[in-house]
Amino acid sequence: MKLAKAVVVPAALLLAWEFVMRSRGIESDSLAPPSQIAVAFVDAMLDGTIPRRTAETLRAALGGLAIGGGSAIIASVVLGLVPPAARLMQFSIEVLRPIPAVALIPVALLVLGFGYRMEIALVAFACFWPVLIYGHSAITNIEPQLIDVSRVLRLTPISRVTKIVLPAALPRYFVAFRLATAVSLIIAVTVEIASNPQGIGHELMAAAQSLHPDLMFALLLWIGIVGWGLNSLLLFAQRRLFGAAGAAVSASP
Amino acid sequence: MTSASPLPHPAASAAPPLIAFRGVNHDFGQRPILRDIDLAIGQSEFVCLVGPSGCGKTTLLRMVGGLLAPSSGAVSFAGKTVTGPAREISFMFQDYSKALLPWRTAAGNVALALEAAGLPFRERGPRIAELLYKVGLAGHTDHYPAQLSGGMQQRVQIARCLAQEPSVLLMDEPFGALDAMTRQALQDEILRIIATSRTTVIFVTHDLDEAIYLGDRVVALYPNPGRIAQVFDVTLLRPRNQLTTREHPEFLRLRRALFDFIAEGET
Amino acid sequence: MNPRARALWVAGSIAVTALIVVAWQLVADYGGIPPVFLPGPDRAWRALVVGFSQGELAGLTLATVKRMIYGWALASLAGIVVGALIGSSRIARDYIAPMLEMVRPVPVSAFMPVVIAFLGFSSNMVLVVIAIGAIWPVLLATVHGVSSVEPRLVEVSRSLRLGRLQTLWKIALPNSQADILAGMRIGLTVALVLAAIGEMLTSEYGLGFYILIAARGFRSADLFAGVILFGLIGLVSNLALQEIERYMLRWKRR
Repeated sequence: MKLAKAVVVPAALLLAWEFVMRSRGIESDSLAPPSQIAVAFVDAMLDGTIPRRTAETLRAALGGLAIGGGSAIIASVVLGLVPPAARLMQFSIEVLRPIPAVALIPVALLVLGFGYRMEIALVAFACFWPVLIYGHSAITNIEPQLIDVSRVLRLTPISRVTKIVLPAALPRYFVAFRLATAVSLIIAVTVEIASNPQGIGHELMAAAQSLHPDLMFALLLWIGIVGWGLNSLLLFAQRRLFGAAGAAVSASP
Repeated sequence: MTSASPLPHPAASAAPPLIAFRGVNHDFGQRPILRDIDLAIGQSEFVCLVGPSGCGKTTLLRMVGGLLAPSSGAVSFAGKTVTGPAREISFMFQDYSKALLPWRTAAGNVALALEAAGLPFRERGPRIAELLYKVGLAGHTDHYPAQLSGGMQQRVQIARCLAQEPSVLLMDEPFGALDAMTRQALQDEILRIIATSRTTVIFVTHDLDEAIYLGDRVVALYPNPGRIAQVFDVTLLRPRNQLTTREHPEFLRLRRALFDFIAEGET
Repeated sequence: MNPRARALWVAGSIAVTALIVVAWQLVADYGGIPPVFLPGPDRAWRALVVGFSQGELAGLTLATVKRMIYGWALASLAGIVVGALIGSSRIARDYIAPMLEMVRPVPVSAFMPVVIAFLGFSSNMVLVVIAIGAIWPVLLATVHGVSSVEPRLVEVSRSLRLGRLQTLWKIALPNSQADILAGMRIGLTVALVLAAIGEMLTSEYGLGFYILIAARGFRSADLFAGVILFGLIGLVSNLALQEIERYMLRWKRR
């Protein structure tokens, strides 16, 4: 019942859209009826455009995520376990963090030119910060009682980290990664739209410029599906890995 | 049942009741909550509803407050059936922290009732000051609920209720979440405040001593389903006093009668 | 931690930043990287100063900031109004809110080519995209806040016989303050990003356009100056909003 209610309005809008365009015989450079969009979507799927471009975007996005997120995990663990280091780095982080990744597009273009490297670099930069901040917070906000437990059990520092700190922080790290994944996709697509001649973003822009509204909307839809798919996949993984404990610890962005 | 006493009952039986329950039954889905409630409450009466959990006393209160309609039977106020919240009836909730607007100061919270009543802006200030003074919060007008203790927050709620200038005050275990000393202070506060006005009060509590201390009548309810078991008249003199009244033989007698009654009902 | 210790740590962290700048300068001067790729902080600073005193930087920065603020303010207002309407009506919540959630995972910048198709490369296009991007977090936050009012407060409003509009204005919206402000903060970040991209794509007068041209012309000092300015805009706007948030939520503090 709830699903039906959710679908009614969008379905009605789509039908109206289709009807208005077809009945009025509107030919437009910027709008296309849903049926045409569906056709363009299937075509682009079958002729390899969508798969190829998606692979390009994902390669850059996930590559940047791995580099940026990975280094952030290490950095956040270090900062979390060595509070003086965190305090000393505070100012530098606050100064570098507000720089929008997109403002670095010209820098990346200048230094690395077009292609994968500049896109991965930008995605890495963008993904670094949320994982660093969330991860650091995860480590420093471990339930104090757990730290007491580790003291009472007389665990060595290394044991404490591997047996208590990291496992306790893991759910929050996962949430941070979910967020970073969304960011990676957004930045990758944005960079492609703004400059880099590869990936779905570029294809989307090209379709708009070459006055193919059906393909354009199809790609827009596809980007949404990819974004939604990635997030759902990670949510599923989160529930399987952490279950109720994870849900209790994580906020839901 | 009612002890013969030379003192006249505050609610003269000749006058028509201000609030009346007639054949009220209520179900929540399949569960019976109330059965055959017939009760008349006269003007200026202080009636306490007592009983264990599940006896529906809060439900009865909410019916008078227009927040709930009975499954069958009628609840009337001033001769007319209650169909929704009335301006002259104010409701005081037990969970004061959730019933106050946390983003408004004490004054702001009291103002809410005045805004709802449509009082012109210019007249609100003096009225709010007067009300907060009456409940003993004169120095806390600009404090937010988070900065006030439980007792003070409950006083803000009292002030907000009084701002409606109600003829009926409905109180749902208002002092249940407070410590004993604050509770006693607020009990006397309430008695003092309504001593001058002719406000009718329906007071729900599970504290039997409190019920006897405050009320003119105590209605004892049995649970599952809630029904009126017995009505006790309280003929103790007013003004009541925390020490002397509670040691009065009549108080102790009523206390024993009520305790025994409730204990019986639980078996 | 006592205030003196905290002040020392803050000073220490500023010192670390200064050290990093010094290291930057050393690498730029002696690191063997061509200055066209890595200008030293001295050249970047000079570019900033010259750009403001003799050049266009002031006007460019202002243009970008104006664009960002206008788009964001408009979007926030619209987001609150629409969000309040949707959030307060069960029908709207059941039928419309799911649709809004469906659009959420789409990267906002992906709408840019679509809007370009309709509005061309123009200043309006950038403003529209900024608005589309910034309205989202505020809209969703408002819907969430308005639809999750403490039930007791709803009863209080019923008991006081507050009308529907009054309940919305005096109870539901203030109740959602924290959520809405958080959404507005996200919206501001989005607005800055979209302003930058929009200017790069459309060559509209602004900082985004400026740094792109600087990159194309291999003027790395100007480029770095522009990037620094972007960081500053982000920092200042965020701090300002944080202060506003702290003031508006002062009632939460014990």
